Amino acid sequence: MTYLHDQMASTGKVKRSKDLPQGAERLKEEHRKVVKDCRSQIEHWNKVEKDYESLQDRLRTLPDKLSYDIMVPFGPLAFMPGKLVHTNELTVLLGDNWFAKCSAKQADTLVEHRKKHVKNALDDLQKVMKNFQNKDDFTDDLEKLAGDTEDFVDIREEVINEEEFTKGKRLAHKPNSKPKQEYLSDLEEDTEKKEGDEERTTGLLSEEELWARLDELECEEELQDERYRHAVRINTGKNTTLKFSERNEQKVQAKRKKKSGKSNGLSPHESYKITSPADIYRVFVDLVNGEPIPRKSILKSRSRENSVCSDTSESSTADFEERRAAFGRSWSHDDATHSDTSDGITEEESPTGTSPRTNGRFEAFTGTVIEKEPLPCSIPYLTIAPPALPTIPERKLEEVGPEALQEPPKRMSKFKATRLHQT
Amino acid sequence: MAEAIHKKLQSELEKYQQMQKDVSKSMSSRQKLEAQLTENNIVKEELALLDSQNTVYKLIGPVLVKQDLDEAKATVSKRLEYINGEIQRYESLLKEMERKSEQHREVLSSLQQEYQRAQGQAVGKV
Repeated sequence: MTYLHDQMASTGKVKRSKDLPQGAERLKEEHRKVVKDCRSQIEHWNKVEKDYESLQDRLRTLPDKLSYDIMVPFGPLAFMPGKLVHTNELTVLLGDNWFAKCSAKQADTLVEHRKKHVKNALDDLQKVMKNFQNKDDFTDDLEKLAGDTEDFVDIREEVINEEEFTKGKRLAHKPNSKPKQEYLSDLEEDTEKKEGDEERTTGLLSEEELWARLDELECEEELQDERYRHAVRINTGKNTTLKFSERNEQKVQAKRKKKSGKSNGLSPHESYKITSPADIYRVFVDLVNGEPIPRKSILKSRSRENSVCSDTSESSTADFEERRAAFGRSWSHDDATHSDTSDGITEEESPTGTSPRTNGRFEAFTGTVIEKEPLPCSIPYLTIAPPALPTIPERKLEEVGPEALQEPPKRMSKFKATRLHQT
Repeated sequence: MAEAIHKKLQSELEKYQQMQKDVSKSMSSRQKLEAQLTENNIVKEELALLDSQNTVYKLIGPVLVKQDLDEAKATVSKRLEYINGEIQRYESLLKEMERKSEQHREVLSSLQQEYQRAQGQAVGKV
């Protein structure tokens, strides 16, 4: 390519108009030249290989007889009858004016070694030729594409990023919108590049496809969330999480396993793999009764919950955590996805969540598994809750709806239990 | 005015072409060195395949001089090192030349532009 540039520079003329077709022509010419060169070289090396093979044949038959009767070339014009003797002794040219006396078999080994080199050279040449052949075809495609012929058209679309992605997105989750913007901008870049891909005919992905992609990502996140159930992050503020009985955790785990049908052997590792801001929130969870509850703020510990309920017993705070957990899960889920789909998840989780908890309620002081928050208690929580992300109340309300049906019979007993605990 | 520029352009062009020739010359000598390098590598490998029972000869002029196998190996290795050194020297030389020719190319293109402008002006005047 520098040669091309030099040529153009030295002629003193650089054609600006009709650049592409001429350039493409020139490029193809160069490609073809290289391919032709390669072909001739390959031919040459093939010949060399054949010569070596016939030489090997000769070497193998030479020591058969003690002497051969031959016509010896005498000068450039005459031959003379003579004998070929010492048929096993050969003086071999090793290269660079070095000679060695060898037997026929040793010479055979040397020839084998040289043939290896020839084969390598042949392989390299074949590769180069294939490469340039591909480049040639590629420029053909490129020409077709750029030429705006019937088959391929380069569709370009100016996309305004901001509008599309602030739709349905909370401002607090701005950091999450970036990846998608990048994704879009990458698409833009791609379309602007004149790569001769036939895929480029589709141009920029349409909005619908983008939303579909987002839905896919949501489903992926759901699956991830299942696995992240076991993220154990000790609350730095209060160490109540340490007291939770392992049995409960195991039960919950078993339940989850059954439900998700996946092995959770990797969860401890997975829990620390951070690929998106949502993952960070997931890591900062408080473990309450075997349920990882994401905190509202990474910086804050659970100190604020105590103020909400009148009783400051740990079970009630655990109670509280529990309440938060239910929609905390969905909240963390919501980080990266739309609110619509996560509804389904919270509904899913609540039925499974309740059963193990009811069993373990009276087992241990700290290990009480508490059901989902009852409706009346949730309301004061709403009002007094620390400034959380605006959607958390929404989440709660949505979640509380389906759960309210389940809760009524158990509601009384729970308060009783906490009161019993206090006394 | 245009004529002066034209003359300058021509001289620069010649200089540039000379430089290109130098570059190609050093390129070809470097390629020769590369060929010698591969050859000596093959000789080294083949000497390794032999044993001390075979006599090794070196062709010096019209004479085949007997050599010791180990001596021959040492000589070949030394020659290889020498060739490598030469190649590196040529590499640096080539880089220098490339750089200079780049500069020259820029000068040429700017002169070209000036000339074209001058020509345009001359046409405008007339």
